[in-house]
Amino acid sequence: MTASHNMITFLSRQALTAATPMILAGVGELVGELSGVINIGIEGTMLMGCIAAYTVTGVSNHGTVGLLAAIAAGMVMAMIFAAACVWGRADQIVAGTAMDLLGVGLSGMVWMMYQNWRENLGFSTALPHGSGFSRVPIPLLHQIAFLGPVFFDQYALCYITLCLCVVVWWVLRHTRLGLIIGALGDAPEACHAAGVRVRMGRSLCLLFAGACSGAAGAYLSIMQTHAFATNMTGGQGFVVLALVIFGRWKLPGIIGGCLFFGLINSLQQTLQTARYTSQNTALHALTHVPFQFFQMLPYLAAIVALAIMSRKAPGPRYINVPWPEVKT
Amino acid sequence: MFKRFFGNIWSAAIAVALAALVCGVVLALAIGAAALLGYPPIRLADLWLRGAAGSWYALSSSCADACPLLLTGLAAGVAFRAGVLNIGAQGQFLLGALTAVALTTRMMIFHQPALVIPTALLGGAVAGGLWGLVAQYLERYRSVPVVLSTILLNFVALYLAQAALQGPLQALGTAAAQSPEIAGKYWLPLFVPYTDFHIGIILALVLAVLLWVVQQRSIFGFEARVVGLNPGTARAMKMPVTARQFQIMFISGACAGLGGAIQLLGQVHFMTAHMGNYGYAGIAVALLGRLNPLGIIISSLFFGFLDTGAYRVEESSLALPHNMANVIKALIILVMLVLAGLSLRKSRRADRRVTAPAQESAP
Repeated sequence: MTASHNMITFLSRQALTAATPMILAGVGELVGELSGVINIGIEGTMLMGCIAAYTVTGVSNHGTVGLLAAIAAGMVMAMIFAAACVWGRADQIVAGTAMDLLGVGLSGMVWMMYQNWRENLGFSTALPHGSGFSRVPIPLLHQIAFLGPVFFDQYALCYITLCLCVVVWWVLRHTRLGLIIGALGDAPEACHAAGVRVRMGRSLCLLFAGACSGAAGAYLSIMQTHAFATNMTGGQGFVVLALVIFGRWKLPGIIGGCLFFGLINSLQQTLQTARYTSQNTALHALTHVPFQFFQMLPYLAAIVALAIMSRKAPGPRYINVPWPEVKT
Repeated sequence: MFKRFFGNIWSAAIAVALAALVCGVVLALAIGAAALLGYPPIRLADLWLRGAAGSWYALSSSCADACPLLLTGLAAGVAFRAGVLNIGAQGQFLLGALTAVALTTRMMIFHQPALVIPTALLGGAVAGGLWGLVAQYLERYRSVPVVLSTILLNFVALYLAQAALQGPLQALGTAAAQSPEIAGKYWLPLFVPYTDFHIGIILALVLAVLLWVVQQRSIFGFEARVVGLNPGTARAMKMPVTARQFQIMFISGACAGLGGAIQLLGQVHFMTAHMGNYGYAGIAVALLGRLNPLGIIISSLFFGFLDTGAYRVEESSLALPHNMANVIKALIILVMLVLAGLSLRKSRRADRRVTAPAQESAP
């Protein structure tokens, strides 16, 4: 096995690790948008997932409980959003911004109170040893060349996410349920005529999206890093939003976008260190480039990719149109 | 004419009264919730109010905090009205501040504040505007939706600013991404001494009124509104749609960039890449002000007062996290949205202006 081969394996593994939370949140957001509701506030929901997972894991000593708490927190956020947008006819863009504010505010508030509380009790705010998740190599399979380290040496939630992707893809593509979800966003009148409760359907789709975003938040705080910091999602929620458009509301496209983004991200991180250690003169010359330009790469690459593809997709027709429509 | 004018005032008064009622109820609920958590409610409310408006100084710091919010709010409001979904005020704000600090530190050798300050403000505005134009160019000629490119460009601007602040603009003797502090004579002058009332606040207010007049009373403003409501109609009426969109984007970005420059020269005086989330908060400010420049003045002041009071509460012995203010803002926006959606169905025509552009081009 050559060195470059190792490098490619490592990069691909890191790419999938970094892309997992975005894929997870993206699947949820896709289902929500297909049903006709765009949620700009996934960033806030992910943050709530982060803080819920971290604090509950810290208190209960069990990562699984934390993960469930994050999913629950995401669903609560989704319920608030659904109450405002689906049942309360609020504008989705505006309400989404408010949900983002709510998530930032509430997670920051809970974090500060949690720190005070733990310190008053004389406990550390760090996660108890062994309560966070680590990578779970799948026996035997992880020894396969290339595929093993990339696909079978990931965090547990990554496997679940990949399975979920297949299930959601199959449901959207081949089942009556998928047809209904698509119709909720494209032809709510037809759904109504067929006896489907439009608002209930949209709310359920949003609940699913909230659960996904919450779990994505948990992935960031108790799997990938074992730490919480205010605004730790760092704009990933917005990137997911962009990637759903990028993937033209098609699941494979979105996953591809997330992986592409994750790959460029892990590539730039590796380049940042490799330029100092490598003997290669071309790589070594990069030492004069400020590291921020490397950090910028994924975003620039996304813009360039979009500019090259240069084709707009319309998206679900009834996004941000409350049901039932008011005729004026 | 008479009736129309007073009819407008009447409905505006109702809207403002309703908004005030909602704000009051949510604030009362928040204080009640804090009381349940064991914080003394009266003392909390007292500290909050005093921190936000208890003295000239408190009042001035609230207004100074509202100033960048007003400008980023205008940036979002102007653009959304014209159907240009500019989410990039954050990046435009940062680049405005960056340009201002670059110009000021490079032009200090002239020792001419009267020359340097206007140049820095103008430079900041132009930088923000140009950064906005990048997104509009991508939309027009490469079919990249503005919502998307502005989100991505925000991050590009962030890392550009950090690179500059750790490179050519870095302060001596520090490893952090931070510019040197600007000498006192290049700060924006205060119009009330020993407070935070700097002339940037007046500038922002004048700009808001100016934008309102343009929006309501000029052909340019009318055309921009039509472009936002329905580009097809605008095209059929032989309006220069593309030109209007580019111009609106430039104005929007310039507002945000000016906000960054004013915040830098008037308030913080040295730059880091973490100058607050004014860009994103501006979107909420604009939407709460219903995209009307005058409404945005009120909502930005409200946000400024809430934030400043909350910071004083956090610094006090109560130590209630300042993020409480963000939660309150979010709840107020949600409640007002639902009220608008449920009860004002009949007067939805006014809302149409707010929602229609979003429906038109939302992803």
